[in-house]
Amino acid sequence: MQALLTYIISGLALAGSFALIGSGMVVVYRVTHVLNFAQGMLAVFGAMISYSLLGGMLPHGLAELVAVICCAVIGVAIGVIAIGKPGTPPMISLLITLGIGMIAQAVVIAIWGQDPVSPPGISGSIQILGVNLATQRLLVFLVALVTFALLSLFFARTDIGKALTAAAANPRAARLVGIHPLAMGLVAFAIAGALGGLAGVLIAPTTAVSVSSDLPLVLSGFAAAIFGGLRSPWMTFLGAVILGVVGQLVAAYGNGSYQTPIALLMMLVIMIVRAGRMATEEAK
Amino acid sequence: MMLSVDDLVVRYGAATALDGVSLHVDDAELVALVGPNGAGKTSLVNAISGIVKPVSGRIEVGGRVAQVPEGRQMFGELSVEDNLRLGAWRHRPKDPTPVYELLPDLRRLRKQRADTLSGGQQQMVAVGRALMAQPDLLVVDELSLGLAPMVASQLVEHLATLNRTRGTAVLLIEQEIGLAFELCSRAYVLESGRIKAEGPTAELRDAPELQDAYFGGLDLSGTGE
Amino acid sequence: MSTSAVRVRPSLGRARWIAAIVVFIVLAVIPLLLNDLTFFVQTVLAAVVVTGLSLFMGYAGQVSLGQSAFVAVGGLTVAALTVNLGLPPLLTLVLAPILGAAVAALIGWPLLRLRGHYLAFGTLAVLLIIQTVMATVPFLGGGIGIFGIPPLSIGPIVFSGQLPYAYLALAALAGAMAVAHNLVNSRFGRGIRALAGSESAAASSGVPVLRSKVVVFAVAGAFAGLAGGIGAFFTPFVSQDTYPPFTSFGYVIMAMVGGLGTLWGGVVGAVVLSLWLQLLSTLASLPGLPPTAGPILQYAGYGVVLVVFLLLLPRGIVPSVGDAVDRWATRRRLPPIPADEQEEERVDAR
Repeated sequence: MQALLTYIISGLALAGSFALIGSGMVVVYRVTHVLNFAQGMLAVFGAMISYSLLGGMLPHGLAELVAVICCAVIGVAIGVIAIGKPGTPPMISLLITLGIGMIAQAVVIAIWGQDPVSPPGISGSIQILGVNLATQRLLVFLVALVTFALLSLFFARTDIGKALTAAAANPRAARLVGIHPLAMGLVAFAIAGALGGLAGVLIAPTTAVSVSSDLPLVLSGFAAAIFGGLRSPWMTFLGAVILGVVGQLVAAYGNGSYQTPIALLMMLVIMIVRAGRMATEEAK
Repeated sequence: MMLSVDDLVVRYGAATALDGVSLHVDDAELVALVGPNGAGKTSLVNAISGIVKPVSGRIEVGGRVAQVPEGRQMFGELSVEDNLRLGAWRHRPKDPTPVYELLPDLRRLRKQRADTLSGGQQQMVAVGRALMAQPDLLVVDELSLGLAPMVASQLVEHLATLNRTRGTAVLLIEQEIGLAFELCSRAYVLESGRIKAEGPTAELRDAPELQDAYFGGLDLSGTGE
Repeated sequence: MSTSAVRVRPSLGRARWIAAIVVFIVLAVIPLLLNDLTFFVQTVLAAVVVTGLSLFMGYAGQVSLGQSAFVAVGGLTVAALTVNLGLPPLLTLVLAPILGAAVAALIGWPLLRLRGHYLAFGTLAVLLIIQTVMATVPFLGGGIGIFGIPPLSIGPIVFSGQLPYAYLALAALAGAMAVAHNLVNSRFGRGIRALAGSESAAASSGVPVLRSKVVVFAVAGAFAGLAGGIGAFFTPFVSQDTYPPFTSFGYVIMAMVGGLGTLWGGVVGAVVLSLWLQLLSTLASLPGLPPTAGPILQYAGYGVVLVVFLLLLPRGIVPSVGDAVDRWATRRRLPPIPADEQEEERVDAR
C-alpha cells in the first residue's frame, strides 16, 4: 500500500509540472495559434536559476519567486522573436521556437553545464492516514492546483484576463476595440514563461533537471495539452494527472523509465482518435 | 465635419475594391451607404477603422469613431457585461450603466454568455460595445444581416434615439435599403467600388441608379411597414 | 504555409540541365580526392532525406519534426534483417524505402487531416518511440545496437570500403531528385501544386487533398528510408544513438535553408548546414576551449541559423537566388515586363 501510494504521489508531482507546462502551451496557443516548442526549456531555466539562487544563499520562497519572474521575462523574449515580426505564419513561429529552444540549450550548457541539477527542496515527509508521503512531491501537486485556480480567476475576473480570452476568441473584434493582438500575444508568452518556470522550480528538487529534460518535458506538456484539445486548462490538468500517474505506475511495475514513451503513446492515441472523429464527421 | 473621405482607392492585390470614393458625414448626422453585395462597403468600413491601408485618398475624422462590425463579432465565451466592458478597453469609464440606459434589455442579459444570445440580442450587444467608447460617430456595418425585419427595425429605432439624445452621428452601411432610408436623411449608393448616386433619401428613393445597382430586385418596403 | 511553387522558366531550361550535370560530375569527383568519406556520405544521404522532406513541407504545407523516424525504419530494415535474419543485403536495401514509405503512410493517414502541429509532434513522438524500442527490444538492438552489418552485394559484386557507398549515395540522390522532379511535373504534380497555393481552392477543383498529402509524405518517407538503409551498410552498425532528435531537427533546418518545394533545396540545405556544423566542430576543438564547447556551438549554431533564416530569408536560398538571377536576366536581355503581367507573376510567386 505504501509503495503504491508513493508511486501515485510521485506521479501526481510529475503531473503538476506537466500540467503547468501544458497549460503554458495552451495559453500561448489560444491567443496566438503558435505552439511554443521552447516551453520545456522554460522549465529547465526555472530549475537552473532557482538552483543558482538557492546556492547563492537567497532564501527559500524568494529564490523560487525570482526564478519564476526571470522565466516570465525569458518568455516575453521568446514571444518577441517568435511573433514580433508581423505576418509570421503560426507554423513558422513554431519553427522559430524550435530554433530558440536550441539556442536556449546552448545557453544552459554554457552557464550550468550538462549535468542534471537538483536544488534543495523541502525534505522529509508527512504522515497522512498512516502513510508517509514525500512533502516536496505533495507540494508540487498542491502548488500546481492552486496555480490553476488562480489562473482561472485571472481569466474570468481581471480585465486583462478577459482581454486575453477575447483576443483568443475573436481576434478581429479584439482589434476593433483596441486590443492589440501582439501585446496580448506577449502577455500570453509571459504567462507561459512563468508557468514553465514554476514547473521547473517545483519538480527539480525531486527529479533532477538538465538540458536533456527539455524534450521529455515539452512532449509531456503537449500530450497533456492535447488531452484538453489545446483549449481547456482543466482538461490539460486531467491529462497531466493521467499521464503522470500511469507513467510512474508503469515504470514501477514494468521496467525501466517509460514515462516519456507513455506520454508519446498517449499523444499519438489522442491524435489518431481525434483524426478518426474528424473523418466520421466529414463522412456525414 | 465628423467624417470626410476623399477619393479613396483600396486594392487587394490586383483587385480594386474602392475606386475613388468620396463621402462625408456631418456632426450628429444620419447618413446611409447602400449597395449590393460586393460593392465594396466592407472595404470602406475597414479603411475607416484603419484595418486596411488605402492605396490613395484621404480619410479625416473629426472625433471618436467606433465600429459595429458585420456579423456581430461577439466574444462568445464572455458575458454580455464583459463584452461591453471590453468595448471601453482603451477608454474610461468602463461602467456600462449609460449603455444600459439606452438599451435596457442588455441590463437584463448582462450575466449571460454572448454565444447563447439570439442574433438580435447579439447585435444589440455589438452596438452597446461600440457605444462604450463614447464615440462621436458610429459606423454600423450590415446591421440587418440575418435578423428578422422587426428586430432590425427596433435596433434602428435605438440608433435614432441615440442620435436624438446624445448627438451621435451614424454612418449606416446596409444592403437593406428600406431600413437605411427609414433612419437616415442622406444617402450614398455604392456599386462596384464607386459612388453611383448621392443625395437626400427622399429623392434617392426613386433614383434610376438605385435600380441599376440592385439589378431589378428592389425592396424598398423591406421593413414591413 | 506558403511555398515557392516550382515555376517553369523556359528560358533557362537547358541551362538548368547542363548545370545539374556539372554539379553531379563535380560531386562524383570529390570522393576520389578525400581520405575519409564519412562526412561526404553523410551529407549526401542527408540531401536525399531533405529532398523528400522539402518536397513534403513545400507542397503539403506541414512540418515533420521527426523525419529521422523513417531514416531509422530504413536503417533498421537493413540491419535487423541482414544480421538477425540473414536476408540477402540487396533485398533489404530494396525493402528499406518501401517500409519507410509504408510507415509514413500509416502515420500520415490519420495525422495529415489535422492541423499542422499534430504531425510535427506526432512524427517526433514516433521517432522517440522507435529510439525506445531500439533500446529495449533485442531483435532491434536491445540497447547495444546491431553490429556487423554485412556489406551490400549485387550478385558477385561486393561493395567493400567506402568509395562504392559514396557513389551509391550519389546515385540515390540523383534518383530521388529525378523522382521528385517527375512527380511535381506530372498530372499528380498539378494537384499538389494547386494544394501548395490554396488548399480550399484545390479541394473545390477536385484535388483529393488528404490522399495527395499522404502520397507526398510517403515519397518523403521512402527517400528517408533509402538513406537510412544505405547509411546502415556504410557505418556499418545502427543503435538508438544513430537517429537522435538533433539530426531530425537538422533536416528541417536544411529544408528551410535550402528552400521548400524546390528541387535543389535539399542538396543546398544539406551541404550548407553540414559545412556549417563541421566549421563549428572544428572551432570547438580549438585548444583552450572547454569540452562543452562542442554541444554549445552545435546547438547555438543550428538554432541561430534556423531563426535567422526564418526571420530574414524565409523562402530559403534556392528561391532567393533564383529570383535574383531572374531579375538579372530580365533586366539584361528581355524588354521590361508590362505592369499587369508583373502583378500576375508576383501573385504566382507567393
